[in-house]
Amino acid sequence: MDGTANALTGRGLALSFGGIEVLKGLDVEFRAGEITGLIGPNGAGKTSLFNCLTGAYRPQKGAITYLGHALDGLSPAARAGKGIVRSFQHVALSPDLSVLENVMIGVARNYHAGWLHAFLPTRRGTDEMAAMRAAAEGALSELGLAGLEHKLPSELPPGMLRLVEIARAIVGQPAVLLLDEPAAGLNNSETRDLMRTLRKLATSDLVMVVVEHDMDLVMSICDRIYVLNFGAIVACGSPQEVRANQEVVRIYLGDDDD
Amino acid sequence: MSKSSASIETMPGSASGNHARGWLAASGADYLLAAVLFALPFLIGGSWTFALGICFANSIGVLAVSVLVRYGGEVSIGHSFFAAVGAYAVAILDTRYGLSLVASLPLALVLGTVCGVAFAWPSRKLSGIYLAVSTMALALAVPELINNADWLTGGYEGLYVSQSVIPGVEASLQRYYAGLLALIAVVYGLRRLRHSRQGLTLLLAKQHPAAADAFGTRQVWARIAVMGISGGIGGVCGAILAFAGSTVSPSSFTFWTSIFLLVGSVVSFYGLSLTRALVGGAFLTLVPQFLSASGAWIPVLYGLALLGMILIGHYLPRIRSFLFASKGGA
Ligand SMILES: Nc1ncnc2c1ncn2[C@@H]1O[C@H](COP(=O)(O)OP(=O)(O)OP(=O)(O)O)[C@@H](O)[C@H]1O
Ligand SMILES: [Mg+2]
Repeated sequence: MDGTANALTGRGLALSFGGIEVLKGLDVEFRAGEITGLIGPNGAGKTSLFNCLTGAYRPQKGAITYLGHALDGLSPAARAGKGIVRSFQHVALSPDLSVLENVMIGVARNYHAGWLHAFLPTRRGTDEMAAMRAAAEGALSELGLAGLEHKLPSELPPGMLRLVEIARAIVGQPAVLLLDEPAAGLNNSETRDLMRTLRKLATSDLVMVVVEHDMDLVMSICDRIYVLNFGAIVACGSPQEVRANQEVVRIYLGDDDD
Repeated sequence: MSKSSASIETMPGSASGNHARGWLAASGADYLLAAVLFALPFLIGGSWTFALGICFANSIGVLAVSVLVRYGGEVSIGHSFFAAVGAYAVAILDTRYGLSLVASLPLALVLGTVCGVAFAWPSRKLSGIYLAVSTMALALAVPELINNADWLTGGYEGLYVSQSVIPGVEASLQRYYAGLLALIAVVYGLRRLRHSRQGLTLLLAKQHPAAADAFGTRQVWARIAVMGISGGIGGVCGAILAFAGSTVSPSSFTFWTSIFLLVGSVVSFYGLSLTRALVGGAFLTLVPQFLSASGAWIPVLYGLALLGMILIGHYLPRIRSFLFASKGGA
């Protein structure tokens, strides 16, 4: 299949805030069936690029397409309806909801029972909630969180909240999965488990993009990597190519060695 | 990203941390209280039965305000508007068409909801103090609107509500039980909402609008939904107020009515359980009755009672943990 058709692409994306250029007309192509890494120093514009892809930010220039269709006019909610889903760098769970309920929100977009079913004990409403609950329980156990369903977010350590955040993103069978620093706050064994889970998720029609500072994770699970610096793509290629790129070593990987 | 008004949430004894679970937990207290209230008219005098009927109506009004706080993170000082809509729906259907609460209560619910939605749309971008002040505009308009439409509303004189729901049953009992059943129905509906898909998404939208957006819940939808629910409950409050009080007049729906509904909501710490709603409703209805012998001192005593309630609520978690700690140590 043609790579560009089965992909999420951004062409000439430019975004600025009050004269500060955050994205400087960059081109990206995230292909289905691959895990794409997006790396770069703090403030490079990685989260901003995610925000453009999900519709939270409107780039001043450029076009975003998914499966060949333009997304530019669509609201974030409409893009979510197309299966474009993300996790947040700063965990964004509701403190009023249990872990399970927070994850259930990740499938809510696939259900449509009306208001009557919200207030009255109807069959349809009850069935829907049961289905949402089952899906959420599945996602939680996939991430090793079984048994924590009824905890409140305030009762869990940051690493686990991060995993709940990821569970919410993967639960609804997304078509595009944008993960913003999924391993931040995880310990080594949690990170290894997460890598295995992500690899397992990477089916032939899922577009997965991972923003991550953990180089081991990026280098070992990604098929392709984009390197972002000051809002521009400075390198793109396989993990080996990126690792060998002098520019990348200087601006980014080099930091670790110093 | 969280809204400025989210600070409401961290008010004393409310949803912060460990208390998040308690804010509408179905407690044994609710069931016990409901049982007692069902038996009460046979144990107390007629004037108390009447006062409790009004108290139930006010409790529903308190819930209307609390649901806006809980699910929308917003404060209203204009809910007398929705109550007036519900009350006049009941009174007008009663006097003009001879229809009882059976027909007019659903209409009050629908009209309140429609008004909530109609208000939410133009104000959808407002939040915090700006939204609160714009709800105030609603409250201020009510008495004037009623007086100007006196051909329909009876103006200053008001209207009588006299149709009975179940002919033959003593009127005072009808007023009491209609209020009680409506209150229980609202509490039940809100408990269902908390565990529904819409309820979950609204709670996320309140705290993290961007996250809710990313999972398919538009902020505008969330605002309109919450205002619709709140307005609908406000309409039910007015309907029961009209029926339980058997009369409606503009003086029942002033700006102060709105303020007191908010006060009741604060005193109940925005709780959506039967017990909490009744604490708020009782504060509105019964405290002034208790104080009515105190003449000029009423406002002062009322203020002290208010302060006392809020302080008790504030220190309750600490008092509770102190008691538990000393028990555990023994
Ligand atoms: N809403 C906004 N308003 C103003 N400036 C913004 C906004 N969002 C992002 N920026 C700016 O855009 C730049 C890129 O930020 P972004 O969060 O995309 O970086 P990042 O690559 O995700 O960094 P990190 O690794 O620290 O998460 C930063 O300088 C940031 O201050
Ligand atoms: Mg970032």
